[in-house]
Amino acid sequence: MSAELAEKLTLYLRRELAAPDLSVHDLSRIPGGASRETYRLRARFTRAGAAVERKLILRRDPPASLIETERSVEFRAYQAFFALGFPVPEPVALETQGIVLERPFFIMGEIEGAQAASVLAPDPYGSQREEVGRQFWTTLGRIAAVDPIALGLGDFDGAKRVENCWSHELARWEKVLDEDELEPQPIARAALRWLKRHPPPPAQKIALVHGDYRSGNFLSDAEGRIRAVLDWEMAHLGDPLEDLAWALDPLWAHHDPSRPGGMLPRAQSLALWERESGLKAEPQALFWWEVFASFKGLAIWISAAKEFASGTNPDPVNAFSGWYCLAFHNQVLAQKLGARA
Amino acid sequence: MKPEADQILNVSADQLLAAAMSGEGDAYGRGTSALHALLMKFVAREYERGAEIRAAENRDMRAAFAELAPSAHDLELRSSLEDAAKGNDQDLSISSLNASNAELRRLLIALHADLEDIGARGAEARIWLLLQALAARRALSLF
Repeated sequence: MSAELAEKLTLYLRRELAAPDLSVHDLSRIPGGASRETYRLRARFTRAGAAVERKLILRRDPPASLIETERSVEFRAYQAFFALGFPVPEPVALETQGIVLERPFFIMGEIEGAQAASVLAPDPYGSQREEVGRQFWTTLGRIAAVDPIALGLGDFDGAKRVENCWSHELARWEKVLDEDELEPQPIARAALRWLKRHPPPPAQKIALVHGDYRSGNFLSDAEGRIRAVLDWEMAHLGDPLEDLAWALDPLWAHHDPSRPGGMLPRAQSLALWERESGLKAEPQALFWWEVFASFKGLAIWISAAKEFASGTNPDPVNAFSGWYCLAFHNQVLAQKLGARA
Repeated sequence: MKPEADQILNVSADQLLAAAMSGEGDAYGRGTSALHALLMKFVAREYERGAEIRAAENRDMRAAFAELAPSAHDLELRSSLEDAAKGNDQDLSISSLNASNAELRRLLIALHADLEDIGARGAEARIWLLLQALAARRALSLF
């Protein structure tokens, strides 16, 4: 790993943690998606005469990001939900400018003894899948139940009125499609027209939408406990059904569509979410948001394909997304909407 | 007989995957290697089937245009569809097939939107069958 990066981090953390003798050890890059570079590190220093070691994670913007997100969003979401006792990493420091490490970054505490599932794995939770599933859907319901204004996140991007949630998010991803489409996408375009012609009912409330809540974006331990919900970079205000539908999307089902997220049967998943959120997963509205979820997926994969093809971000996950995930969601939408034609 | 490109890619991908799964090296490097291996497998399939998939798609779209052009409400679009339906792919290079495929997809989008506007449900259903076939041909398997 770059000695220069370690040196810069050392100087930065000495200031941030008020620890003049701090040293950085074991800095190594770990998998963490194409939208942020993720590193693990150890910070050692003395405090009140005692040796301290902090295990930290650095998340730095790549030279070009797959999804353009406000730098502070993920950090502020961690701050807010950490304070509420939700399973999220402890936020440590945020730099929105590129002065210290050339690009914006933030630092958070490492969660030890837990790992994220690969979305490609056929059965990542094994015998713990029901326990993980109960926590997964319960936690999502609890996020939906939170009042984002009371949490201090009322200024986040997104819809401010319940009638506008769907159109706000659809416009966001239509813009991505328009800007990043490298070749005509007849299924994405058909889905977009369908979504506009069949708007869902108003949201039951304005919630804090995680934006990428799914299998693969949380850490669980060997006992099946969810220790941290990650990747809040697309968090925004909107319809809580948006998160529910994204989590239900078959791309995250680990090849078992009967168990969303590869965990619990669908009916049980919805019941847990309804109980914790106090909201209804009304089928017609949820169908719209599930179509939207796959459309949003297409927009992200199309954007990923462009990032790779243009050479701005040659991370192989972008090429993989532009091939496998794009083909997957095209098939999902063609089946789902074709069955209604 | 020499090894074909897809065989070379598949064998190399398997070796790369085995190395990635061995647990040696850092986590990021192993994850990246595994992804490269999967991409090589996709490219191996593309080598074998890429031209056939595009040629079949183009053939199916032209057949649909021949059938559905009379239903199009927009007269200019109808004319473009009739012209496109008469085309064929003589150059089987991927770049040439991609170019004709993109043009046909543009027309398919316009036709689908036109049929929706006039509420031609039967023709719309025909388009969705075509879209399902397009999606199925491009689907990729991980295992």
